[in-house]
Amino acid sequence: MKVSLNWLKDYVNLDGISTAEIVSRLTMSGLEVEDVIDQNEIYKDFIVGYVEEKNKHPNADRLSVCKVSNGKESFQVICGAPNVDAGQKVVFAPIGAVIPAGSFQIKKAKIRGIESYGMICAEDELKLSDDHTGIIVLDDKLEAGTPITDALGLNDVIIDIAITPNRPDALSHLGVARDLAALFDKEFKKPEISIDESGEDVKKIASIEIDDTVNCPRYSSRVVTGVSVKESPEWLKQRLVNIGLRPINNVVDITNFVMYECGQPIHAFDLDRLSGKKIIVKSTNGNTNFVTLDSKERELLPGTLMICDAEKDVAIAGVMGGENSEIYDDTKNILIESAYFNPSSIRKTAKYLQLSTDASYRFERGTDPDNTMFAANRVAQLIAEIAGGKVAKGSIDVYPNRIDEIKLTLRISRVNKLLGYDVSKPDAVNILQKLGMAVDESSDDNLLVTVPTFRPDIEREVDLIEEIARISGYDNIPSIPKISITLETKIDETSFTDKVRETANALGLFEMINNPLQSEELAMLTGSAIKLANPQSMDMAFLRTSLLTGALNAVARNLNKGEKNLALFEIGNVFYFNEGKSKISGFDDYSEKQHLVILLTGKKIDREWYAPVEHYDFYDLKGIIKSFLSKFSLDNFLNDSYYVKSNTIYEYYSRKIFNDAVIGEGGKVNKDVLNKFDIEQDVFCFEFDVDSLKNIPEPERMFAETLKFPKIVRDFAFIFDNSIANESVESYIKMKSSKLLKSVRLFDLFESKELGTDKKSMAYQLEYFDENRTLTEDEVEKDFKNLIKLVSKEFNAQLRGN
Amino acid sequence: MLSSKIEETSKEFSKDILSVKNAEELEKLRIKYLSRNGILPALFDEFKSVPKEEKPAAGKALNLLRNEITQKYNELKDKLSAESKRSSSKVDLTLPGKKYPVGSKHILTQTLDEIKSIFKGMGFSVFEGPELESDYYNFEALNFPPDHPARDMQDTYFVSDDFLLRTHTSPVQIRIMEKMKPPVRAIMPGRVYRNEAISARSYCMFHQVEGLYVDTDVTFAELKGTLVSFAHQFYGKELKYRFRPSFFPFTEPSAEMDITCFICEGKGCKICKDSGWLEILGCGMVDPNVFDSVNYDSEKFTGYAFGMGIERIAMLKYGITDIRIFFDNDFRFLKQF
Ligand SMILES: [Zn+2]
Repeated sequence: MKVSLNWLKDYVNLDGISTAEIVSRLTMSGLEVEDVIDQNEIYKDFIVGYVEEKNKHPNADRLSVCKVSNGKESFQVICGAPNVDAGQKVVFAPIGAVIPAGSFQIKKAKIRGIESYGMICAEDELKLSDDHTGIIVLDDKLEAGTPITDALGLNDVIIDIAITPNRPDALSHLGVARDLAALFDKEFKKPEISIDESGEDVKKIASIEIDDTVNCPRYSSRVVTGVSVKESPEWLKQRLVNIGLRPINNVVDITNFVMYECGQPIHAFDLDRLSGKKIIVKSTNGNTNFVTLDSKERELLPGTLMICDAEKDVAIAGVMGGENSEIYDDTKNILIESAYFNPSSIRKTAKYLQLSTDASYRFERGTDPDNTMFAANRVAQLIAEIAGGKVAKGSIDVYPNRIDEIKLTLRISRVNKLLGYDVSKPDAVNILQKLGMAVDESSDDNLLVTVPTFRPDIEREVDLIEEIARISGYDNIPSIPKISITLETKIDETSFTDKVRETANALGLFEMINNPLQSEELAMLTGSAIKLANPQSMDMAFLRTSLLTGALNAVARNLNKGEKNLALFEIGNVFYFNEGKSKISGFDDYSEKQHLVILLTGKKIDREWYAPVEHYDFYDLKGIIKSFLSKFSLDNFLNDSYYVKSNTIYEYYSRKIFNDAVIGEGGKVNKDVLNKFDIEQDVFCFEFDVDSLKNIPEPERMFAETLKFPKIVRDFAFIFDNSIANESVESYIKMKSSKLLKSVRLFDLFESKELGTDKKSMAYQLEYFDENRTLTEDEVEKDFKNLIKLVSKEFNAQLRGN
Repeated sequence: MLSSKIEETSKEFSKDILSVKNAEELEKLRIKYLSRNGILPALFDEFKSVPKEEKPAAGKALNLLRNEITQKYNELKDKLSAESKRSSSKVDLTLPGKKYPVGSKHILTQTLDEIKSIFKGMGFSVFEGPELESDYYNFEALNFPPDHPARDMQDTYFVSDDFLLRTHTSPVQIRIMEKMKPPVRAIMPGRVYRNEAISARSYCMFHQVEGLYVDTDVTFAELKGTLVSFAHQFYGKELKYRFRPSFFPFTEPSAEMDITCFICEGKGCKICKDSGWLEILGCGMVDPNVFDSVNYDSEKFTGYAFGMGIERIAMLKYGITDIRIFFDNDFRFLKQF
């Protein structure tokens, strides 16, 4: 919210305090200043210029070549605005001036071949508004050469404050001034109101009735008759323009002024357009449509709080007025609405209508129920002063549902307990009083504090402690340089995934982080995906059911950038509906699991001087998975199963199984899937359910005595049919050998013409040893010979080389 | 039929190439398949007479075959020449070393690791919680009443009326306090989501680290001490800091911590929006309403909580100006760190 320093000074004396200090104290008390515009500074180079001549630019249809005088000399200036004309007084930026919007400096320039010595400005360029329809045309009476700060009264400092949702009281100049008074220990002055009630008795010309007293606890009103709607006086327009509002007419401007002065949104009705001269506040039941004053027809939620007259709806309470009762140029009699509405009712309506107005913004955060009459009086006073007319005698104030001030007890000792430093009782009392609270300090340690209704955020003792800390300054709270370590057992739930990442790194894999929000097509590919109720786009409307699809997306993007050789991994959560569920109303309806994906594609070794090119293949993936699992001592606990037939994802694949449950699956991604990503090279991928891996009890790791007796090693090679799988040979050997055989390892494999079609050679190394003795050649030879015989027979294989 | 010939050639070539053991045999292979009178040019000749409607399919198959043969031929050629080089007796120590790739953690993980190790050193445990959360844990238990404007501070992705993608890591505070009694001292890293338009400055998700310490006699002064120590360890001893009052529904009093902008050293620049300060985290004393929702006695126990965004910290630290680069997973970016 923008506030004007000049305006604030009406309510608090800030003489002798620099702008920088004001800004710093505001920020350091929780009213964070986002921007400061010191008009004297930013407009210092701008002056009133007189357009002496305007000619067409010879080389550009839309440009004019003007002669602009500063009162002493004339400058040639190129101007692109359609409304520029000779004889106008304009805002002239001479060479050297810095345009506030975009902070660029005016230099001598050549525009389409003609030189230009300055610029004629539009409102947006001066940051006065967003308007760029044309240049600003000033009052004829202004003298050329006058500084613009004087000519337009731009001698204010505008402070833009980010108001947090707990501080509705600070959404006004009075509210900010109250904080400043507390911060600088100054007096806070509310404007005094005197009304000349020269009109008729208000009870005779209008009446108000509240039907829904829950959502409208209070409705205060004044009536002013015989006004003339016209342009506002300069000072009023100035105030509004400076804080970014557009002046409309005196009545509307006054309602805006009072809202920005005291935080109470005001609505002005044309009394003559209110049927029965009557206001009824009630909630709709059933479907209703309503045309708001921006001429839009809106469909209302049943139960919307409405302002009605004897026959019809005239405003959506607290949000926006209706077209049928707004102020016209010929409006004479005005009913001023100054009400307190239930914040959550207004918020519901504004949310539903997606219509956030200055009024709804304040009502939904909580206005001050005790301020409604003050605000109505203030409006009545200003209308009488500025727009003429007579204020009707008396006011209408319907207040069926009193909202009382609350009383809180503050223990001074509790301040220390929470903040860790001592605040003196007099300091605490002074701060609370400056913030508008009544404090009874008769008890020793306790203060009895009455909280005014303009601070709905203060409900408990702790809220008072915050106020004291905030105003005295968080800098006063010490930063203690030591902490106590408590001795409870420390837990790190991320230690497993830390180790997963480190192992993956050691295996040469790089970590990705992909967006879990995906298109339906991708998310549904690997599971029963959960849809977002309010997605940004259809590309990001579903939660991923696997990490594979996101990884393939990353591969596709990399391929487009020429990065074709990738070794990647990701750890992240996936989400899917549980069996038989299709919507989420409880934690049992879906699963969220942590997964790991490992992906290889392209070349493992690119062109190198020492080695031929080698592409990643299934065995790289398999080897990486094995090494990975061995780091967790899990490789011996998991069973493998292999599938050479395509499934929906893989052309061929293997699975890791623990206790009959599949906890990992991967292989060569099939062409149909790759086509969805326009990937034309082979991709190998394996995905684990990390949560399941985590849950496998890690075997106790014990030191194993290193071998003291020699090993005996034997090799053999057989020619097999191509259909014989290594796995079956290995397990057969293990099964048939003596206990002395400790390992079997395939070390050579090839096909060749000499072997014949559909034949292959597989060579195995066999290791024999015993932990307790030296083996004899004989016992090994016996087992080895036996194995040769058995393997030859079992697989119809032919021993090679012997 | 051309297509069956292509298939046969492919099979034959696969067999032939297996028996190539030296340069001489390789040359024979080249002559058989790739030379002017080889099999491949002959197939291309035959392609010219294929009926028009079969041409696209046949052409594609033929090109695939040619690519396969030339690629495998070239690879084998490289391999054989590498072998011959290796057997050369001259040692050239200036040849490049062989490649042993070592992977890396994502830069966000590395940043989190650094944060984690500092807080673990100060006696914090590390906990995680789900990303798909209930409205209760994400908002209600954290003192965001329904229909409260504070909910507007965080644009939320919903999956149903009561379930959503968590907008902050704070729900994990509730989950661990439900599980254990004080003292509780933990950090809670994790991924959070915001329904915001994607741009250089904001993404639909990012990462946070949440911190919580509850015990008897925990004070704001201790919160300051802990976070100042963190900032000194993470950003360097010299930096200046300040704590500014702010608002979060689940802490009271609430604060934001700023450090001197290390880009301009406090003079004011684009990154710090000319303020000379960089906001690095939000914090405060745990609100009594939060204690109420986990049945902690708010008279007996006090506590503090804090939260910081990892992307923001990494962007500042490494001079990254576009948040989207973290999630693009460009291999060149991943390899940089
Ligand atoms: Zn800076």
